[in-house]
Amino acid sequence: MDFSVFKKWIADAADAAGVRDYELYYSTEDETTVNAFGGEINEFTSGLTGGVCFRCLLDGHMGLAYTQELSEAAAGALVRRAVDNASVIESNETEYFSEGGAEYEDYEPADMQLASPEELSALVLQGLRELKDAHSAVTGGCSASAGAGLREICLVNSNGVDLKWKCSSDYLFLEAVVSDGNEDNNDYKLKIAEPEKMDLQALAKEAAEDAASMLGAGMAPTGSFPVVFSPEAFSSMLGTFSSSFSSDQAAKGLSVLAGKEGEMIASSLVTVVDDPFCPENPMRINFDAEGSPAYKKSVILEGRLETLLYNLKTARAAGRQTTGNAHRAGYDAPVAISPFTMYLQPGTCPEEDLLKAAGEGIYVNSVGGLHAGANQITGDFSLMSSGFLISDGKKGAPVKSFTIAGNFFDLLKNVTAVADNMKVPMPMSVSSFGSPSVLVRELAVSGK
Amino acid sequence: MISLETCRRVLETAVKTGADYAEIYAENTQNHVITMISGKVDNINDGVTAGAAVRVFKGLRSVMSTTIDTSEKGLLQCAMRAAEALGEGHAEMEIVLHERLYGDVHPVLVAPSSVGNREKIDILRTGCEAAASYGKCIVQTTGRFLDVDHRILIANTDGVYASDRQIRTRLAVTAVADTGKGRQTGSASPGRRMGMEMFDAEADAASAGREAARQASVMADAGYCPGGMMPVAIDNGFGGVIFHEACGHSLEATSVAYGLSQFSGKLGEMIANEKVTAIDDGTLPNNWGSVNFDDEGTPSRRNVLIENGVLKNYMIDKFNGRRMEMPSTGSARRESFMYVPTSRMTNTYIDAGTDSNDDIIASIDYGLYAAQMGGGSVNPVTGEFNFAVNEGYLIRGGKICEPVRGASLVGKGSDVIRNIDMVGRDLRLAQGMCGSSSGSIPTNVGQPMIRVSSITVGGR
Repeated sequence: MDFSVFKKWIADAADAAGVRDYELYYSTEDETTVNAFGGEINEFTSGLTGGVCFRCLLDGHMGLAYTQELSEAAAGALVRRAVDNASVIESNETEYFSEGGAEYEDYEPADMQLASPEELSALVLQGLRELKDAHSAVTGGCSASAGAGLREICLVNSNGVDLKWKCSSDYLFLEAVVSDGNEDNNDYKLKIAEPEKMDLQALAKEAAEDAASMLGAGMAPTGSFPVVFSPEAFSSMLGTFSSSFSSDQAAKGLSVLAGKEGEMIASSLVTVVDDPFCPENPMRINFDAEGSPAYKKSVILEGRLETLLYNLKTARAAGRQTTGNAHRAGYDAPVAISPFTMYLQPGTCPEEDLLKAAGEGIYVNSVGGLHAGANQITGDFSLMSSGFLISDGKKGAPVKSFTIAGNFFDLLKNVTAVADNMKVPMPMSVSSFGSPSVLVRELAVSGK
Repeated sequence: MISLETCRRVLETAVKTGADYAEIYAENTQNHVITMISGKVDNINDGVTAGAAVRVFKGLRSVMSTTIDTSEKGLLQCAMRAAEALGEGHAEMEIVLHERLYGDVHPVLVAPSSVGNREKIDILRTGCEAAASYGKCIVQTTGRFLDVDHRILIANTDGVYASDRQIRTRLAVTAVADTGKGRQTGSASPGRRMGMEMFDAEADAASAGREAARQASVMADAGYCPGGMMPVAIDNGFGGVIFHEACGHSLEATSVAYGLSQFSGKLGEMIANEKVTAIDDGTLPNNWGSVNFDDEGTPSRRNVLIENGVLKNYMIDKFNGRRMEMPSTGSARRESFMYVPTSRMTNTYIDAGTDSNDDIIASIDYGLYAAQMGGGSVNPVTGEFNFAVNEGYLIRGGKICEPVRGASLVGKGSDVIRNIDMVGRDLRLAQGMCGSSSGSIPTNVGQPMIRVSSITVGGR
């Protein structure tokens, strides 16, 4: 579709409805994916999808409507629905659009050569072969999928903001399934890179070995123990509780961090950074979903809560500048506040030092059921986990189906060491999370 | 919507390179969500999802191509892309489509898309105010009124040309309570495959608000749940999430077809306690997870999955059914045209048994009574699942004692369904959204009260 034509229809419809303040957000995704199982390609998808969202301001109240129908009639309906929705908003908060004229940081956008369907097919088949050879416990249940996608966003508003963003990336996802005859286990690994720059053998080996390392896992003991989180596990924890850093959640009484800016909320070893230009994440961008400049910031600096994350509305209400953290999951999602790539700043020691310091404890390499076992409002969690016993300062036997329980913000205060092995495990969205390994003094573990 | 003749031409194009099956799925869906925070309308998310997907099969290979251009030209291009991606072959198939009028067993009296914002806001406010006025301990309320008007059209080379309109309505109220021991939340979210009349006939908004507030206030005074292995009594309604996670996902062809489920190859075997009979039934009138026909055009039906402990059937879609050499059970579902459909649950429950609730509680010397469950997740390969207990109580000496917060249940599906050794009589269903590879779809979970003889309770 020609966005400029639709933009004109919207401008005419807004004019006819007497709407002066409005914004149009347009996003498209052109993606091809290939899956392989059992040595053959079994699924192929391709498509161009996308849509537009129209937002308008009436007396400081925001109304919105989105659509995938990009006709002139749809443009008129979009404006009418957004106006109708704005007219019933009751919130005391005043909303704003970006005023334009801002300076945006220069950055290196992800601009990979998009792999062809043939290249993707070759990649997944080779990935499967590498999995097969990676470990003796690997079964025929392994699968591989690869994709190549081009994403585009256009954001224009009635204040003259006119921004464009483009990102092209290729990825490979390998799932290793292993068995010891008694039980099966699986593990996944993702690599984002142009196909010729991927080390398939290393990726397959990592997936297969990690899956196999959990075979024969026993039950964990019940009690309180020092816990070392793997980079993957702590990234999941940070992601789960990241909504607490939203000033909007805080203003609505839905975050325990409300009113705590400037206070020590974590161990002095904890520095948490939000970086829109994190090199590990291909979705780098220099403006937020409202068109404000995006920039790198410390959210927690050596234990002190430096700032919550703000958008235009919450920043004005607090008498400060936006941190450029307005975010939308797509044209069909409302504007919310969230980080870009948020990570725990790595320390300087290797993971082995954390194990040594723990002495006797639990190494948690994955946590699950985060949408169920974690309460973002209170910080409380009780999560299904798997990992290893730590005995005599070393990783020992695998254990699974145990839970770790506590409160995330107590946990941040109890961090006693941070390793140097930073990872951003799943950097496929505008909000991604990263961490190195982390040692926590004590956590409740429930097992046998 | 798209004419039969257009569909025929599009399917003809789709099979040109040798496909043995082709399908068109087109949709136009209106989604409307009103959010209320602290008793005030905070925002409205309102939009149209519209587009189509053409899918072709050749043996065990599937290709899907999507488009937002549903003109004949756009659909033909989409079909061409799918055909080209399938390969170089050549075939001609005579395509005869018949309009199927499967009927609608889910009557809607007042379509929510025909009702203005005000009326929905009134219902939402009733729910939120009932929560806020429940007691002094309620410090915050949030609520959402959701309605979906989902129009679909499916045509395929099995001769199906059918359309449906799936209307769903839901109210969700969350209350936050604080009595000085740390905030706790409670929620209630009734939903139906019906219109605005659901609030007269089925679910009163104020009751939902009070229920959310009651849970939050009980849990606000509760201490933490102790952890360890113990017997657990799980109440009816959303308690059924245990079967959904521990077993349901592992019975979907999505994992069974690839030998990746703990229940692959076990048809006819005793996989559960003999007290367990489990059913997936997409035909229940006006139920949240019901469909007239699935997203491949196969009529929905009642599938007995487990009967007295014996595995009877899986949930199967057409594509995965090929690998399993078994027919579809009408279980193909997708969030929208942008997702590849696969086998999913509809309304899935453990059927009523013969034990009384009193006997179940009295049988437990020391354990947990899970009155309200939260969400959960599972890894179908290992069968390991977890879910949250939103409202729990300790049982001592066969009696329900003090409330406990922060509990979760974890285990392995194939173990836990053997350990369900008492099943009550009062079957009730409750609504949830289920996320998997084909997106987020509405499903009912359900059961009467059950006893799990031993399971790991996560606590502290």
